[in-house]
Amino acid sequence: MIGRLRSQAMETSKVLVDWMENRTGIVTILEHFLYEPVPKRGAWLYTLGSATLFLITLQFLTGILLLFYYVPTTDHAWNSVYYIMNDAYFGTLIRGIHYWSANFLMAVIGLHMARTFFSGSYKAPREINWVIGVVLLLLVVGLAFTGYLLRWDQDGFWASVVGIKIGSYSPFIGAYVTHFLIGGDAVGPATLSRFFALHVWLLPAAIAPLIGIHLYLLRRHGEFGMESEYTDRLAKLHERQRLERYAGYEEDEDVYEEERRQ
Amino acid sequence: MGTIMGAILTIPPVAFILTPIVTTDVLGESDVGDEWREVGPVSEIPDDEPKVFDVEFPLNQTYGTRSVQEESGVTDKRFSIRNAVWLSWKHEVKQEGRQGSAGDELGESMRPDFMDQKSEGFTEQERQQLIDSINVLSNSCAHLGCPVRWLVNTEGEGEFLCPCHGGIYDINGGWVGGPPPRGMYRYTEVKIEEDGKLYVKHEYNVGGENGPQRPYVV
Repeated sequence: MIGRLRSQAMETSKVLVDWMENRTGIVTILEHFLYEPVPKRGAWLYTLGSATLFLITLQFLTGILLLFYYVPTTDHAWNSVYYIMNDAYFGTLIRGIHYWSANFLMAVIGLHMARTFFSGSYKAPREINWVIGVVLLLLVVGLAFTGYLLRWDQDGFWASVVGIKIGSYSPFIGAYVTHFLIGGDAVGPATLSRFFALHVWLLPAAIAPLIGIHLYLLRRHGEFGMESEYTDRLAKLHERQRLERYAGYEEDEDVYEEERRQ
Repeated sequence: MGTIMGAILTIPPVAFILTPIVTTDVLGESDVGDEWREVGPVSEIPDDEPKVFDVEFPLNQTYGTRSVQEESGVTDKRFSIRNAVWLSWKHEVKQEGRQGSAGDELGESMRPDFMDQKSEGFTEQERQQLIDSINVLSNSCAHLGCPVRWLVNTEGEGEFLCPCHGGIYDINGGWVGGPPPRGMYRYTEVKIEEDGKLYVKHEYNVGGENGPQRPYVV
């Protein structure tokens, strides 16, 4: 009885999966994106990119949750964070995850970059992916910077003041950079609003498609050291050597012919 | 045609987010109100060290702008910006130092003798002398804007020290050590009233040999 039910259920799900596959090609896509040959040596180091992706996903999810209670005004920002931390159920956990995964994110990105560098994975044909990775790093740094002010406590406030004033040392445009970030000429309500807009909309909206391209290019070229790449290269090398050898024979034949004529 | 369409699509959003740059840098407006604010009585300034006073300036920024507040009926709430103002008697500069290598060599305090007799009701001449002999300094470090404070060592010598990156200034606000590219910011609009109290406006010595850097964040 149970055996028959199980076989029926499996049959039904197989039909459903086939139905979806025929209409969307979802199974092929998932297989393409989920299965990836990685080099045997140091395989664990190749999970750092996935770790980064996981942490960024956590940032998005906990960030969306925090927005349910956070208020981006100078007179209530700190109070709303206090509410999240003390009154909202699991507020400490949600904000703690947002805070700590942001910290670990910076560290993991550093390790991911170091792995890419030392394994030479940035070399042809993967240069563009390295460039996009660096842009992603800068965007994450921007997110870390703008997120710090949103708490509107002494710590975040003065760290942001220092960060904003570093921008004032830019040659020629220092004043403009500072006034753009501040939203005027004194840190106040405008500054908090701007940093909020940058942190929850502009930078995440910029980061999401770039992550997509980063992953697409990864799947297109694979991780460093794919076997097929070497087979192709070896085949090309052998082909070239063979052609050179033949060319040599032909030259030799020419010499013989000239000798014969004389 | 393409140019016109491009302009229609790009100019409004760009101008929208760059509004503060236009108002501050092109029109030269400030978010901080142009008002005299009381700092404190000059008689409270000690002989050989500075004293800090809290001064609040009205802040007119986005939803804190006064007209917006009145229109919305939230007039009791005024946004303000708090400055810590350090007052001290100027000390005579015996030998000028050089920015980046050595601070000034300082002599005696320039506290006027008539301060021993009275604490208010100064004559016009005395008030001018007072303004000339008082340092009115902003606590915003000229390096990256952290708040500096006066620290005294075991031998009784004091200096302004910035907690962030170790900028050091003397009692006149002159550069002594660390990363700041200049001395501390001075308030340029200062007056002393009949009641013996000192008043300031939110203006600083910026430009010229003081460099283009402003205390953006105070």
